[in-house]
Amino acid sequence: MSAPPVKELTVMLVDNEPARAAIVEQAMTDSGYRVIRRLENAKNLTEAVTEYQPDMVIIDIESPDRDMLENMSRLTKDNPRPIVMFAEEDDSHHVEAAIRAGVSAYVVDGVQSGSVKALLQVAIARFREFHALRSELESVKSQLEDRKLIDKAKGLIMKHQKCDEPAAYQALRKLAMDRSQRMTDVARNIISVMELMGGSR
Amino acid sequence: MSLKTSNSSTQNNAPVRVGFIPLIDCAPFVIAQEKGFFIQEGVDVVLSKEASWASIRDKVAFNLLDGAHMLASMPIAASLGIGTIKTAMQTSFTVSHNGNGITIGNALYEQLQSFAGSSAEMRSGIALKKFIDSRDDQAEPLRFAMVYPYSSHNYQLRDWLSRAGIDSDKDVQIIVVPPVKMVDSLKQGEIDGYCVGEPWNSLAVEQGVGHMLVTGYEIWGSTPEKVFGVNSAWAEKEPERHLAMIRALEKACAWVDDPKNHTELITILSHPDFLNCTVEQLVYGFGSIKPKGQFDWPMEAYQRFSGHETNKPLPSYALWIMAQMHRWQQLGKIDSLSDVAEQVYRQDLYFKALGVEDASDDSWRLSAEEESEWLVAVDGGKAHFHADDSSRKKD
Repeated sequence: MSAPPVKELTVMLVDNEPARAAIVEQAMTDSGYRVIRRLENAKNLTEAVTEYQPDMVIIDIESPDRDMLENMSRLTKDNPRPIVMFAEEDDSHHVEAAIRAGVSAYVVDGVQSGSVKALLQVAIARFREFHALRSELESVKSQLEDRKLIDKAKGLIMKHQKCDEPAAYQALRKLAMDRSQRMTDVARNIISVMELMGGSR
Repeated sequence: MSLKTSNSSTQNNAPVRVGFIPLIDCAPFVIAQEKGFFIQEGVDVVLSKEASWASIRDKVAFNLLDGAHMLASMPIAASLGIGTIKTAMQTSFTVSHNGNGITIGNALYEQLQSFAGSSAEMRSGIALKKFIDSRDDQAEPLRFAMVYPYSSHNYQLRDWLSRAGIDSDKDVQIIVVPPVKMVDSLKQGEIDGYCVGEPWNSLAVEQGVGHMLVTGYEIWGSTPEKVFGVNSAWAEKEPERHLAMIRALEKACAWVDDPKNHTELITILSHPDFLNCTVEQLVYGFGSIKPKGQFDWPMEAYQRFSGHETNKPLPSYALWIMAQMHRWQQLGKIDSLSDVAEQVYRQDLYFKALGVEDASDDSWRLSAEEESEWLVAVDGGKAHFHADDSSRKKD
């Protein structure tokens, strides 16, 4: 028989971003934590913490429900307290990294600081990954929006000037270059002017 | 004129990052930004809407924000390391006084009717005490909500309960509910009553969800509510910008309190970037309009943003808050409460910012022996705070 069995740590994950919650939950499960509850809407967060008594709670730093947890932390020793309370001087960069990534954590007394750090690292990595995914998605979305605007402006020019598509595109491009504006901004202007004149229909 | 041109040596041109919680008393921050008071003082500010007091505290502590709209107790709690890692924070500007109230739900109000010999007994909590005593020991405790463990709302609620002889830890359950969810929680029966700022008391009355019993003013007198709290390291690094922001906020507070601006104020605040609500919801936050109900607000209980030295930091109030923390078992052993009050509530910087003679006084300071007596008196509910004459009185 080697080392004594390590108690499996239970983590409560509170996140109203379902996609991110799923990613974080999977990562924590893969790292050997038991994720006992994933609450999207933490209406009964206080009851849930009392009932399930997690060793740690991981919650989105932007959640309005954090103040509820702040209150639990003063009641008894077994209630989770904010991770920042446990940070030693040399740990503060861990906490800062967590806060920057949007992770906040509450931990009960007696959990090894190594376990806290390991869990935080998993959560931070997944939160960052999710942010990256989302900003990528947003940039794809905005590229699509740009394309739509330019197409609409082109259509208006074609109708108004009775020209073909390449000519309309050239006109748009020239306007943008002359004014040193983005094509999308020029397109947006053209659309609003045309709409004002009732020429868009 | 202001110091904006006299000091162009500020090395750091990044905007000052200021957090706020979307409550009506964030108004001076929003107005200083939207009406250009910060810019007039030469300070570029970015406001950041935050979802919780915990988030404000953590971001100011870890330099993601330089300062914020804070509960008056927050810079003290952070400086003492209560509920968080110890980070020096300070305030030199009080943003608002008053505005809190205690409201109970219709169901509880109906039950209290038969225990209230008079309306005074209803409002003092005596009826509540009699009702609690009459209940079965096995009954689920009544549940009251407030907004944050280190807040005037928590302390005023507990003080009001204890004056009626109710043990706020054993006889009732006290939980945190974010202000915007208060009225709904009361309506759903998740809580029986709460202590919160306006407009959430008036809205419960207007919607017929609850009855307001008492204002924070009637429990404590006129007291500071929110402050401009900053990370002390930032204040030391950026004294010019800090003081310029105090000047801007002082002008914004006067603007907010001027009735002729109220329509514009409410329109700005209701914007999605700020409170993201209807204009109607904000009417009860400012001025003297209140919904029809069984309860009249005393004029002094309304939220106030300027005049009567409203904006001056009161170290005596810092002492009062620390005594409350002690009373409700949040405070460990502190060598000198007066030293903490002086470091966190900086009157000198307030006077310096406004360019007036430093009228800081230390008549509020207590000796070690007086501090011990003071804590005992507050613990026993035998002391009161009177901000109006800046003194502490024992019964």
